[in-house]
Amino acid sequence: MLPYLLLSPLVVFIGALSFVPTADTTVEAFFRVMPLNPPNRFIGLGNFRALFADPAITTSWINTAAYVVVGVAASVVLGTAIAVALKQRFRLRGVVLALVILPWALPAVVEAVIWNWIYNPTFGVMNSALHSAHLIGGYHVWLGLDRWLTIVLIEIVQVWQITPLSALIILAALQAIPPDLYEAARVDGAGPLQAFRRISLPLIRPALAVCAVEALVLSLNIFDQVYILNGIAPLGSSVMLQTYVTTFEDLNFGGGYALSLLVTLATAAASMGMLALLYRRTEAA
Amino acid sequence: MNLGTLSRRAGTLALALGLVTSAAACGSGNSGSGASSSPKSITVAVAYPSPPKALLEQFTKQTGIKVTWVNIGWDDLQTKIAAAASANTYFADAADVDWSKVGEYQRTGWFYPLNKYFDVASLRSDMPQLNTFVSNNDLMGIPFDSSFLVTTVNTKDFAKAGITTMPTTLSDFTADLKKVGAANGMASPLDIHFATAEGLSTCWYQMTAAFGGQVLTAKDAPAFTSPSSPGYQAMAWMVNAYKSGLVPKGNINETDYQGFTTEMARNRVAAEMCDYSGSVASIYNVPSTSSVVNDTEYIPTPGATGVGQNVANPDGIGIPKTAKNVAGAVEFIKWFTNAENQATWAGLQGAKNVVSTFPLPARLASFNLMIKAGDIAQASELDNIIKAHAEAPFPNGAPPWYVQFSAAVQTNIHEAAAGQETVQQAVTAIAAQVNQLKSSG
Amino acid sequence: MAAGGPGERTARALTRAATGPAGRALSRRPARLLGHTVAIVVILLWSLFPIYWALNTSLSTLSGADSTPAHYFPSPLVSDSYRAVFGIGGAGNGISGELGRSLLNSAIESGVAMIVTVVIAILAAYAFARLQFRFKRTIFVSVLATLLLPAYATLIPLYRIMASLSLVNTYLGVILVYVSGFLPLAIWILYNYFNGIPRELEEAAFVDGATPLRALVRVVIPVAAPGIAAAAIISFLLGWAQFLFPLVLTTNLSTQPVTVIVAALNQQRIVPFTLLMACGVLAAAVPGILALILNRFIVEGITTGSVK
Repeated sequence: MLPYLLLSPLVVFIGALSFVPTADTTVEAFFRVMPLNPPNRFIGLGNFRALFADPAITTSWINTAAYVVVGVAASVVLGTAIAVALKQRFRLRGVVLALVILPWALPAVVEAVIWNWIYNPTFGVMNSALHSAHLIGGYHVWLGLDRWLTIVLIEIVQVWQITPLSALIILAALQAIPPDLYEAARVDGAGPLQAFRRISLPLIRPALAVCAVEALVLSLNIFDQVYILNGIAPLGSSVMLQTYVTTFEDLNFGGGYALSLLVTLATAAASMGMLALLYRRTEAA
Repeated sequence: MNLGTLSRRAGTLALALGLVTSAAACGSGNSGSGASSSPKSITVAVAYPSPPKALLEQFTKQTGIKVTWVNIGWDDLQTKIAAAASANTYFADAADVDWSKVGEYQRTGWFYPLNKYFDVASLRSDMPQLNTFVSNNDLMGIPFDSSFLVTTVNTKDFAKAGITTMPTTLSDFTADLKKVGAANGMASPLDIHFATAEGLSTCWYQMTAAFGGQVLTAKDAPAFTSPSSPGYQAMAWMVNAYKSGLVPKGNINETDYQGFTTEMARNRVAAEMCDYSGSVASIYNVPSTSSVVNDTEYIPTPGATGVGQNVANPDGIGIPKTAKNVAGAVEFIKWFTNAENQATWAGLQGAKNVVSTFPLPARLASFNLMIKAGDIAQASELDNIIKAHAEAPFPNGAPPWYVQFSAAVQTNIHEAAAGQETVQQAVTAIAAQVNQLKSSG
Repeated sequence: MAAGGPGERTARALTRAATGPAGRALSRRPARLLGHTVAIVVILLWSLFPIYWALNTSLSTLSGADSTPAHYFPSPLVSDSYRAVFGIGGAGNGISGELGRSLLNSAIESGVAMIVTVVIAILAAYAFARLQFRFKRTIFVSVLATLLLPAYATLIPLYRIMASLSLVNTYLGVILVYVSGFLPLAIWILYNYFNGIPRELEEAAFVDGATPLRALVRVVIPVAAPGIAAAAIISFLLGWAQFLFPLVLTTNLSTQPVTVIVAALNQQRIVPFTLLMACGVLAAAVPGILALILNRFIVEGITTGSVK
């Protein structure tokens, strides 16, 4: 009796405010729901067909795939680099660690507004700094012209936020490796790079997997940064932004439900796929 | 692990929260009920900053109604209105009714028809824009400004290039701009805003008017598909202006007001097409944010063969069906749109009582007040425009599916300027969307 | 000895300032030390530059912020933007008082959601960690699976539920939605933490005649205090960062959090960049300062939460 009592608040919350709405979304994805044009009616796969036929949405799927690739790769690599640098003890390490966490703690929207200012084509410090360093000839328009550049730059803003998360997880895993393994390697004459590849890397694979999956979920669902830095233009749109556009700009709620259902399925599939991929390699290695 | 550390930490957290709470409690003590709407208060949700507090307080003294102003961006506001209406929830007693939404609101019934509170026939003579807000004989909102699109130039910059008579055709305008740019060290002297936002759509309607036409026919069919049509030519002209460098490259993601405030007001460009009437008084002549005070002027819009038309995009205010205090809202609307106040928002009583970015009053009576007081904000020039050159963007009013139409327009023109599609492809895409909307709508 | 999950060991190790043996190891190779220092500097620049830049712009004059090339330090250094935000001295763009109120809203919404989340999570995590019952695995996995849901899977239906309960634009409505969203992560953190606490402590309490609930309150909670703090601070930060949900669920300043206001300012007609950055700084100040002070708990929470 006790367990169920303890769990009852949780079950009520998640049941009423997560499961019921999700079920609602799933069901209504198969209906035509348009506040501008009532009544609603059942249309089976109609919403899904319309979604696949819409070029803006297809573009956003491809863009989102790019966001994911960049996001996972960058945050895992950068996270590992930061973790390695912070693994060694040094004075003020606690302070540095606290500062490194800072980007993770701040709201994504606020960060996007700040980065938008940094990327500003006329007054932004990115243009100014690169120009003063003679790395670029004139001021560039960073966002809105070149699709892949826009995507990479927007993803950098998200990477900036989620890398501390990866760094901490990988650092924890590095700390858990017994130092004698490294001693043994040193005795054998291995350099730091080899030690890293032979010892650290295999042993932190699970942590890398966790980081990769977290980054995958976050980048697949990217919204705040795209909303601020890209607006509703199709160029750099993500699927979550398209869901917003479909629901609130086109007032096509049925389409919005359908798209969010697809995103949920994609997230689940991609996470499981990535886990399977990484864990299989661990066992084989 | 000892509790001492924890309680210190917990204390810090509580202290931090407490500090924030006390420091930030400059708002009222109202802790978390929904928007207030007793008979003595209303909530107003319009995409303009609020009138000066002192004047709002006068309204409260006169009527006993307290006004809560919701300050929110235009795009967010439209989202809010749609979300609230579709869930049948209250969010305001008086809300923004954009000229483009009149058809939509009339059809969906989200706003009250105001015919029983306001006399359409008598208002019409004083408010030239009133018809834009009438759909199927229902008055869906009262216009509270007479915003329309104008061309603004920096006369000082033009004078530097030796130009004192303003061009009346687009080709002369382009040639003059090049000279002005050279004389003032501006590589790209013209500002047009290409962000995927409503401002881009209205700019296209304006440029189409400059080329002598409209984008839809009286039956809401596409009128821009032929390369010789005004709409097509207008789009080609805009895209070419961007690609050829007449317009700064950074404008691809710039919205209308960003352009006015960061480019024109800081003298980084010498001219604005698709400016809004009222910018001179409420943006360019405001010393705290502008470096071109008294240097800018409206000119009749250069057109394809001579002076062109100006497209009107007035804002209105209406009463959502979910309002709680309809009587209060009616009182407020009457106050907000009376002749004297309208002139005040636009500058009659000086900069301190201006509503920031407010264009021009909706009432001709207000214009007269401003002209008499010394031609504030070039009222006489605009009065002339409004009487002789202003026209509605669509012959049949804004269609009920305007939102999706505008979305298609913004996106495709943006893509064309960014080089992702040709003007022909953009035109075809928009036309296809129009036909689809007409058949399913 | 002291109880605590692996996360706590790590956290203690990480936050201890290094002296003695560690310092000796580094100083043996000066080139390596230099390389390492450079790496740390680069990492700090990467982490902090945007924040610094926002501060820089917020303390500049408009022409200082607009200058090309950019000024890396405000000169003159002015507090005009901050004064405009708080409406001091009659300055203001119509936004004085707005930001203050939205900060209060953020604090209340995040704070109350944090408390409710942690209380419910403690109960649930204890049940998962210590008790056996039917459907345990199913419920546990289902709860965690909700972490994969995108915001939109629940956004509109939640809006409609809240609307039908007249909870739109109320603190209660927002808090309920937040709690339902933060519970899975809080439970995960606490579950891992409880698992790391040796059962001997509770067994000693049972021997003394305590019920499981008493054991929870008297023994487990005090020992798990760092983990609870971690779940709390992480929930608070998650709440403060929310944007999409409050964008839809709140309609005016009486409940809008600071994220919605800052985004609205970014869209509004005329907001000088200096003012915008000042608002951004203020919006980031609370979570930023909390994260700095309580960073140890955040580290614990994240590292504990990553143990499989």
